[in-house]
Amino acid sequence: MSMFEDIPVEVGVIYEGERIRRKEMQVEFGGPNIEHKFELVRVKSPDEIEDGKITIIGPDIKDMPEGSSHPLGILVEVAGAQLESELEGVIERRIHEYCNFIEGIMHLNQRYDIWLRLSKKSYQKGLNSLVYIGKVLHKLFKSELPIIEKIQITFITDTERVKEPWKEALEIYEARDARARGLKDEEVDTFYGCTLCQSFAPTHVCIITPQRYSNCGAISWFDGRASARIDPKGPVFAIEKGELLDPVKGEYSGVNEMAKQKTLGEVTRVWLYSAFGHPHTSCGCFEGVAFYIPEVDGFGVVHRGYREPTVNGLPFSTLADSTAGGRQIDGFHGISIEYMRSPKFLQADGGWNRVVWMPFEVKERVKDFIPKEIVDKIATEKEANTIEELKKFLQEKGHPIVERWKTLPAEAKAIAVEEEAVEMPAEAPVATLPTLPITAGGFKIILKDAKIYAKKVIIRIEKPEKKG
Amino acid sequence: MSFKNVRVKIDELKTRAALIKNLQLSIGNVMEETWEEHVGPTPFPSVTSLREWDMKLLKRYKPYYLPFCELCCLCTFGKCDLSEGKRGACGIDMAAQQSRIVLLACCIGAATHIAHARHLVEHLIEKFGRSHPIDVGGVHVKLEAPITRLVCGVRPKTLGDLEGILDYLETQVTHLLSATHTGQEGNNLDFESKVFHAGMIDHVGLEIADIAQVAAYGFPKADPEAPLVDLGFGAIDINKPVIMCVGHNVVPTVGIVDYIKSNGLDGQVEVCGLCCTAHDTTRYYPKAKIVGPISWQIRFIRSGVPDVVILDEQCIRTDALNEAQRIKAPVIVTSDKNCMGLPNRTGDPPDTIVDDLITGKVPGVLILDPELVGEVAVRTAVKVAPLRKKFKTLPETSDVISGAKLCRKCNNCKRVCPQDLDIPEAMETAANGDLSLLADLYEFCIGCTRCEHVCPVELPIHSFIVKAGEKQLKAEIFKIRSGRGAIQDTEIRNVGSPIVLGEIPGILAAVGCANYAKGGREVAEICMEFANRRYIVVTSGCAAMSAAMYKNGEGKTPYEMFTGNFEAGCIVNVGSCVTNSHIAGAAIKIASIFAKRNLRANYEEIADYILNRVGAVGLAWGAMSQKAASIASGFWRLGIPVIVGPHGAKYRRMLMGRKDREEDWYVYDARTGERVYVGPTPEHLFYAAETKEEAMVMIAKLCMRPNDTTKGRAIKLTHYIDLHKRMYGKIPDDIHMFVRTKADIPITMKDEILKILEERGWKETRIPDPTLLPRLIRRRKEE
Repeated sequence: MSMFEDIPVEVGVIYEGERIRRKEMQVEFGGPNIEHKFELVRVKSPDEIEDGKITIIGPDIKDMPEGSSHPLGILVEVAGAQLESELEGVIERRIHEYCNFIEGIMHLNQRYDIWLRLSKKSYQKGLNSLVYIGKVLHKLFKSELPIIEKIQITFITDTERVKEPWKEALEIYEARDARARGLKDEEVDTFYGCTLCQSFAPTHVCIITPQRYSNCGAISWFDGRASARIDPKGPVFAIEKGELLDPVKGEYSGVNEMAKQKTLGEVTRVWLYSAFGHPHTSCGCFEGVAFYIPEVDGFGVVHRGYREPTVNGLPFSTLADSTAGGRQIDGFHGISIEYMRSPKFLQADGGWNRVVWMPFEVKERVKDFIPKEIVDKIATEKEANTIEELKKFLQEKGHPIVERWKTLPAEAKAIAVEEEAVEMPAEAPVATLPTLPITAGGFKIILKDAKIYAKKVIIRIEKPEKKG
Repeated sequence: MSFKNVRVKIDELKTRAALIKNLQLSIGNVMEETWEEHVGPTPFPSVTSLREWDMKLLKRYKPYYLPFCELCCLCTFGKCDLSEGKRGACGIDMAAQQSRIVLLACCIGAATHIAHARHLVEHLIEKFGRSHPIDVGGVHVKLEAPITRLVCGVRPKTLGDLEGILDYLETQVTHLLSATHTGQEGNNLDFESKVFHAGMIDHVGLEIADIAQVAAYGFPKADPEAPLVDLGFGAIDINKPVIMCVGHNVVPTVGIVDYIKSNGLDGQVEVCGLCCTAHDTTRYYPKAKIVGPISWQIRFIRSGVPDVVILDEQCIRTDALNEAQRIKAPVIVTSDKNCMGLPNRTGDPPDTIVDDLITGKVPGVLILDPELVGEVAVRTAVKVAPLRKKFKTLPETSDVISGAKLCRKCNNCKRVCPQDLDIPEAMETAANGDLSLLADLYEFCIGCTRCEHVCPVELPIHSFIVKAGEKQLKAEIFKIRSGRGAIQDTEIRNVGSPIVLGEIPGILAAVGCANYAKGGREVAEICMEFANRRYIVVTSGCAAMSAAMYKNGEGKTPYEMFTGNFEAGCIVNVGSCVTNSHIAGAAIKIASIFAKRNLRANYEEIADYILNRVGAVGLAWGAMSQKAASIASGFWRLGIPVIVGPHGAKYRRMLMGRKDREEDWYVYDARTGERVYVGPTPEHLFYAAETKEEAMVMIAKLCMRPNDTTKGRAIKLTHYIDLHKRMYGKIPDDIHMFVRTKADIPITMKDEILKILEERGWKETRIPDPTLLPRLIRRRKEE
């Protein structure tokens, strides 16, 4: 009846997140003290694969002394008509997820960093061979990813024989990364859209391209590609990108069409690389916000983990609130951290040359992707916490934005940020007295023992006009 | 900011146009209009404004009445027997009568919270001024009062702004209460709609009470790292003078703490409390200690430890004065709601009051000035402590044994025991010198002392049980994270993506009183079970205390084991009863923050959003009071199901969906306007579970919502099925109703579930943008 009747322990999502401490562990594989460890998925041609074959090269669990550590290579070879090598990484990440479903198996990290532990309890229940793990992987891969038609799994635990494939694996990761980073929006025909967030924010649609991650930071173009293939009726779908209408702003006819369709006409144009005009909509779960600072004509960036007010006095929550909910708001732009690593990052608005402030923590994370000549000119909370300090800093460092100040007319700066706390003194009603309609021209009105009653008085604060 | 009842007097004013003398300007309300969000359809809703929404809910979740009493004896026509379809002398039938009593209970609950809020606000305005700002979480909480914004359509910025809102609430309670008079409302569904209204009004009252005290007293402001404080009898230092505070209104206790601090007595006097006053005291003064939930009142007094007993309001033992007299502990009552027949000494000099209390001239006093309470309580405690030398009424073991020998085995005690504890059997073994069976009762005893009142030989049975369980009582030393108040806007945003992606299966709120059928430990076990399953778990009130009363192998309590951040796998104590508003507030904020739905006076749309999208469930495992009833009703109207424990059936009716009636489970797809079957999600609005296991299965089940993404649904189903298997040993028989597409199937159970689906003739449906409100169907623009 159950899918895993031949497995001596339970297999289920609820075991995810199980922690196995050293004293509870039977054996471990990989981890910080073992050099040779990896997991790798390769796409092969069907005739190279024997479906369901599980091979162990080296000692199996039952041959290992209690409490010992071992090298491990997990090689998963798959074949299927729709599979391509670009999907290897996406499939590979499932190894982590699936291993953790097994009661008494802890799997941490990925690629050349893996660390697995098996609990004594599960060992005593009979989980004494890697074959069982192989069976679970086989079963789950086949049932979850129907595009995998054949799959064979090899575990390498032999100290010597793991070295060669480990070296190869490292080379493959390297090549894969280089290809992923190098992949440009111009080089593909298809983007991906995601409407997962519509379950909470019904007018949002994410456009995922090789150079623009989903706002939540969880879905790359490769992930999108895999998802769309695996679950064609699911929330991730392919977008024929169509004609490139504006290479700088990043406007594609196919994207516009799809946005219109998915938002029921709410959004009709999307500029992928700009925070102005028709910016990408922001859902509820973006990792950061790029926000326009009119006083310096530049952008601040803040990530959701930053708890203090930003340089313009507004915290992440307020800035996020200005753009969330599937809207296109000029100058307030929900983004992923990964998008900051993209050469297309705010390309239409000047890219990094336009960024003037970001929290230290997030700057550290993306430092290697900021052009060298600008990196030290972007302030963090360590250098500037007010607009005045920021201006001074930018001038001192010679940030390219300073050049823009000279060329732009001064009045182009009045973007409205909702400022709320207009303090009024407690005796405010008195101040309104001279403007009571007693100032009828020409007459001198003398009121003696006057009593004026009003059930309700509403005071409206006049606001300067907003610039869209 | 706004002002109420502004009066301006000007002797002489010269302007260019006028000379004005003796001008008096009186303005009822001054409101500053800086809030640009447009006002929704129902600002300050009347009793009938949201009736249509209520009827939508009641059509699906039909009231199922469980008459606790089949008679009505509210007027002189009666008593009227309403059983078997009979109507009373006024014409009322059983259904209407039951819902009428529910409404009465909810009015009592709402009035209690609102009066509490009114007292707090008045007092705080007097102390801090009308213009004291409402700050409940600094820059992290922009939405300071989500319920008030949603219901009333106003945004309070200062303490003074809260007064007008309270005016509204008081009016509504009066209207609602009047509907219960003989010869008013006659329809049960209309009564139920009014019950919902009472609950909604109650929630506003809760919110006002808490934001006022957080803002004025500087309680933790939405702080995930609010201090860990001591909880339990064993944590109290009996070598110091001990002041025991019971109730819900922290104002007099603040007076005590302030006096201690300003007179150099910090660390020399033990301030401890029970029930919500204890929660709020630790929020003000982390050195204060929590004795435990409300059911610890008598056992703590009888231990002889308290030197002075301070009573404020709500859920206080009405015989606390008698009990305190037995241990010679002076009592100070501090609330106009609860004067206990004691003389009002508010106007007297403190010296004479303290003297009278120390000499025992009076057993207690009424003092309505919190600062005076502070001085009298502390001075009395310091002086009386050495005199009392911990006057104990817990009997010696030998007394228990000899007492037990007098037991006549009449079974009266067992019969009146709400927990059906086998006291006679325990007495029998105790008579033979073995107290272990009596000790076993300790954990399950809720401390009502009904057994003592029916005992023909007047044995102090409760004291016997506590004596037998003394070891357990003294070993009660736990940590609880002090009530943190609101959930930050940023925390809400942080859980957005994991909720959408299905990594967080739901939100469980363990709230309410301590009338447990099988002890408070079950609450701790449920909370940990769901935190381990990576649900968001929040706690409040007595349930929050019970959740703390557990230790793992390393001696850690749940609040030390799990994070205080509002995120997957947390256990978050928001605080006292009034902080339940922050739990409702968090659900409301999800709609505002993720979807940018307008909150302002937009109740129906937000409730529809929550019902259809936010997988939150309330668990009031020991719900006892009328306040708990009104709090629950507030959650129902907002679309959040509530589960109660076995005693909860005494609330007289459940709101249960019928999963077999397919037609009940259609929603509109807001994208297309089509009606789509979404299965029984959530299946019930109000449900009494008999056992902990049943409750856990139901929690997992009621977290499902029509909008679940396939990943989210798969995770929710996994937990539902897993818990069901654990309790009943088999797969639930209704999973086919919760699978919409094959991607909903939990991946490790695919084979067996596919087989079931096939047997059940399951058909694939689609996931709509769900709503019950036709007006929210969006029309395609430009087409």
